[in-house]
Amino acid sequence: MSKIAKRIPGLILAAAMLFSITACGGSTAGSDNSTVSDSKAGSSEASVQKEPVTLSLWHIWAADSESSKAPFEKVLADFQTANPDIKLKVDATENETYKTKIRAAVAANEAPDIFFYWSGGYMKSFVDAGKLLPLNDYLDDETRSRQLTGTLSNMTFDGKIYGLAHSMSVGTFFINKELFAQNNVKIPETYEDLTAAVKAFRAKGITPMAVGAKDTWCIDMYLDILETRQAGYDACYKALTKTGSFEDPDIIEGARKLQELIDMGAFTDGAQGVTRDESEVPFYEGKIPMYFNGSWTIGNIMRPESKIKDKIQIIKFPKLSDKSDINDFTGGVSEIFVVNANTKFKDESVKAIKYISENFAKEVYLAGAGLPTWKVSVDESKIDPLTKELVKLTQDSKTYTLWWNTLLEGDDSQLYMNKSAELFAKRITPEQFVKDLQTMNTKK
Amino acid sequence: MDRVFSDKKAIFIFMLPGILFFLAIIAAPVIMSAYYSTQNWDGIGKSAFTGLENFKKLFVHNVDGFPLSVRNSFIFLAVSVFIQLPISLFFALLLARGVKWEGFFRGAYFVPVIISTVVIGQLWMKIYHPEYGLLNVVLNNIGLGGLTQKWLGDSKTALFASFVPILWQYVGYHMLLMYAAIKSVSPDIYEAAKIDGSGELSTAFRITLPLITPMLKVSVTFSAVGSLKVFDLIYVLTNGGPAGTTEVPSTLMVKTIFMSNQYGYGSAMAVFIIAECLLFTALINKLFGKVQVN
Repeated sequence: MSKIAKRIPGLILAAAMLFSITACGGSTAGSDNSTVSDSKAGSSEASVQKEPVTLSLWHIWAADSESSKAPFEKVLADFQTANPDIKLKVDATENETYKTKIRAAVAANEAPDIFFYWSGGYMKSFVDAGKLLPLNDYLDDETRSRQLTGTLSNMTFDGKIYGLAHSMSVGTFFINKELFAQNNVKIPETYEDLTAAVKAFRAKGITPMAVGAKDTWCIDMYLDILETRQAGYDACYKALTKTGSFEDPDIIEGARKLQELIDMGAFTDGAQGVTRDESEVPFYEGKIPMYFNGSWTIGNIMRPESKIKDKIQIIKFPKLSDKSDINDFTGGVSEIFVVNANTKFKDESVKAIKYISENFAKEVYLAGAGLPTWKVSVDESKIDPLTKELVKLTQDSKTYTLWWNTLLEGDDSQLYMNKSAELFAKRITPEQFVKDLQTMNTKK
Repeated sequence: MDRVFSDKKAIFIFMLPGILFFLAIIAAPVIMSAYYSTQNWDGIGKSAFTGLENFKKLFVHNVDGFPLSVRNSFIFLAVSVFIQLPISLFFALLLARGVKWEGFFRGAYFVPVIISTVVIGQLWMKIYHPEYGLLNVVLNNIGLGGLTQKWLGDSKTALFASFVPILWQYVGYHMLLMYAAIKSVSPDIYEAAKIDGSGELSTAFRITLPLITPMLKVSVTFSAVGSLKVFDLIYVLTNGGPAGTTEVPSTLMVKTIFMSNQYGYGSAMAVFIIAECLLFTALINKLFGKVQVN
């Protein structure tokens, strides 16, 4: 059977299966279609101009609660003004829905010319299937030199670069210093401090840390940093890249510490039934003293209407063992833009993602939604204090471990998320947890 | 008319569009599904034939919790058939007997069937909310604060908490089916029963029930098959969480295919679901066949 003939029935099948079980209960979150077009562009006299090229672009910043939405829309508008000969047809879909939608589209060769994706193992299946355009030929030294060193490594496979990043995110530990001061609790520097703080807040009826465990990746935010701080970068990285083993006493210990914190009542009540958005509400209300999540949270903390913008401080997550360095961070470059290998307009597409990545890097930085991966020149006085704090905090960074669920490939990533949810629910022991994770390294 | 029915060619031509439609929409995907279930395929790259490996993976050395999801769907099946349907039947008998405002109640019980599943999901999520949810607030206010739970957030209560809305949603549906069947029973029979001195209960059990057996069969089949392939409300309420405790085969299948990129393995789950649905339909038919003969 030819390749295409094989795929079409596959999609029909998938659609039919989905349809038959969901019946009419459609539950896709709203996706909005909008064409950003520039009215000034097609002025009547310029009939000599060549036909404008239309590029389709998909991304994930659909909801206003996304701190990247406004900056991204500004970049798109600027791009249209600067490039009247390229028209962008933009489509935004909410994150979780997007993951399904883009995969189905790519499998059917229906993918847009340019689209948002995640780097690391997550994008590897697309790379292996030849669905993405290698950008090496399009990136001259000058373009490369404008990017920060090392920012291309997560989307480089066999020496080929498959995407451009705009920002990097860091797992960030947010502290509401007002709550700490009001309750006379010491801001944690060690694990003992942390457990003492958890107990102190719990005793006063305050939820110590927010987590929306219904969105499993929020659990992973905590688990990733606990493992990194307990087992160290090397052990984690080796286990994740199939050169080591998860069945390591320190990885078990990291998992055990998560359960220890749960037993102390460190997290949101009924966390497993709460989404990220719901769990963050009390944090933004100034009712939760500690929160560990991606640095994009800064964008929301610093919103003009925010109640906590002057109360939040960023600290390094306390060290748990001597194997780890306090300057090992989680996160890194994960959000990228890629070009469809089958696009009709390769040059224009690459030109667009170059423009978008570089300018978005700047806008994201200004909006406090991430750290730029390009050497951008911005008015430093416009950068919010929290982002500045983050820049300072990460200056001495030694290593970054990409979010485990992004670093790992598709089914491994899902396994990790399932198992971390079970660990969080205390349905499995830390020993069982690492044993189950190790199956991804032992399978053929 | 007879001439048309005896003409094989005419039958064939008139049936053709329907058959083609059926083959393309139902038979082909099922067959393709069966084909993919024998492949190791991520949905994008090349696939490799692995025989029955995927089916083995469903139950042997399983790490994704498929056996648990099947168990959950069986529990749900039992709850549907033995709790939901009797409730529906009770209401149907009550309404058909003729109560005041019969039409109003008939409509009221049917309302949940019309409301979109996502709306129902959101509604019940608010009812179950641990802090401001109706259920916990009521419990606290009547002094039963000790009974409050993190309904959907706790692995112990989540499964049954997510069954309740589904049962609630379809009680009205089955009630209406049974109600219609009861109404179509000739009043003469009831009159005869009355003259013979049959009471309410014995009329219900000895006359109404046997006469609506065909409709009960339909209800049981719908309810059983519906439980085995339940998806939408579970997806909205818990999406299989917390930690996979409310996972049912369909939600797990969607995750396997679309989140972990395991098309082949996910197809094996699909085939399993189809097979168990067919099996149960056949089983129920056989069971009712025996009842009807008696």
